Amino acid sequence: MMPDYVDISVHAFPEGADTPKRLNLVARSLGFTAIGLTAHSPYWSQFSDSNAISGIEIVAHSVRDLRKKIAFFSDTVAVISVHGGDEQINRAACTDDRVDLLMHPERGKRGGLNQVTAKIAEKNGVALGLSFGYFWKTGQVARSRMLAFQHQNVVLCQKFGVPIVITSDAYSHFDLRAPRQLKALARLLPLEDTEATAALSSAPRNIIKRSAQKEEERA
Amino acid sequence: MKPLRPTLRDSFRYVAFTLNSEEPVRTRDLQAEIFDAAKSLFGDVGVSKLGIKFVMFDGTKGLVRCRYQHVSELQATLASIGKIENNRVGVTVVGTSGTIKAAIEKYLQIDEKIRRIISSYVTVPVSGKAVRMRGKEIDIIPEDKEIVDRADVRFIGITIDDNERLI
Repeated sequence: MMPDYVDISVHAFPEGADTPKRLNLVARSLGFTAIGLTAHSPYWSQFSDSNAISGIEIVAHSVRDLRKKIAFFSDTVAVISVHGGDEQINRAACTDDRVDLLMHPERGKRGGLNQVTAKIAEKNGVALGLSFGYFWKTGQVARSRMLAFQHQNVVLCQKFGVPIVITSDAYSHFDLRAPRQLKALARLLPLEDTEATAALSSAPRNIIKRSAQKEEERA
Repeated sequence: MKPLRPTLRDSFRYVAFTLNSEEPVRTRDLQAEIFDAAKSLFGDVGVSKLGIKFVMFDGTKGLVRCRYQHVSELQATLASIGKIENNRVGVTVVGTSGTIKAAIEKYLQIDEKIRRIISSYVTVPVSGKAVRMRGKEIDIIPEDKEIVDRADVRFIGITIDDNERLI
């Protein structure tokens, strides 16, 4: 049986170039059963597709700003992810149990995670978001650097039991890739086939379940 | 020269793919891009081990051969292709097979949706000119280029459900 593949982080119109319906159509033809629309917070709007999961990718310039935005969005959307990169932001995101996903922490000067943040992330149920858009968006030097950082982060997450989620982080349907191709890219990192499948199916499903539970608790 | 005995020959797999692009792509450009992408990912030594051979391409779908142990690497190579000659593309692997005949029969008998050229001015969801349509998909050239520049594409993609006046 085919696993239930979910791409939990795509950027739809007006941030990206394709409307939610178009992305949904293409993603379904590639083999996904659902997509999550996580616009970066400056582009966030209520405009969305009822068939897609609502989400947000919070861009914060300071830890205080991040906490304020998490408090604002935690009642509004299902999936809260944080635009990682800065080491302080990465750490603050891992300490907050309202955060579901820390996207691309490797975009800073170093890998972005260490044993301390990985332990806190595991405790608070924050998952690591891996995206492979840099394979076709950046040059060779940046690509090998990002791959090395992602390698290090994946090893840390495996050691401390932090869930890993693979997303496309797409800005248009040209950035979407079929699950089997994302798994092939994941195998360039130290991820086994079963781990990569879990990162595309059960791990994002768990995030959605967790957010549904939180909503029930609030209601 | 005497040909190698079948038991001494390498075993291959044929990977069928479809290509989605903004503008039509020439076969030799795609072939060069696949080799470039493989070389950039795995280096000269890696590519020699993959045993890549470009078999065919008809404009939207094609076949590439590789050694049977290295199908995953070829899939990663095809996934890492994002642009050919300044033209955004997406290569999707549809299946893998042991012979060319089986690959074509199983995976490449796809009914292609014909791309129609249209020309109508739209304002929803963005003001611009709808230029083409394929199945439910419609591409718009917007007047304001900010969004398309950010996403590094040429068109805003919508479906007919987004703008019912276009049907």
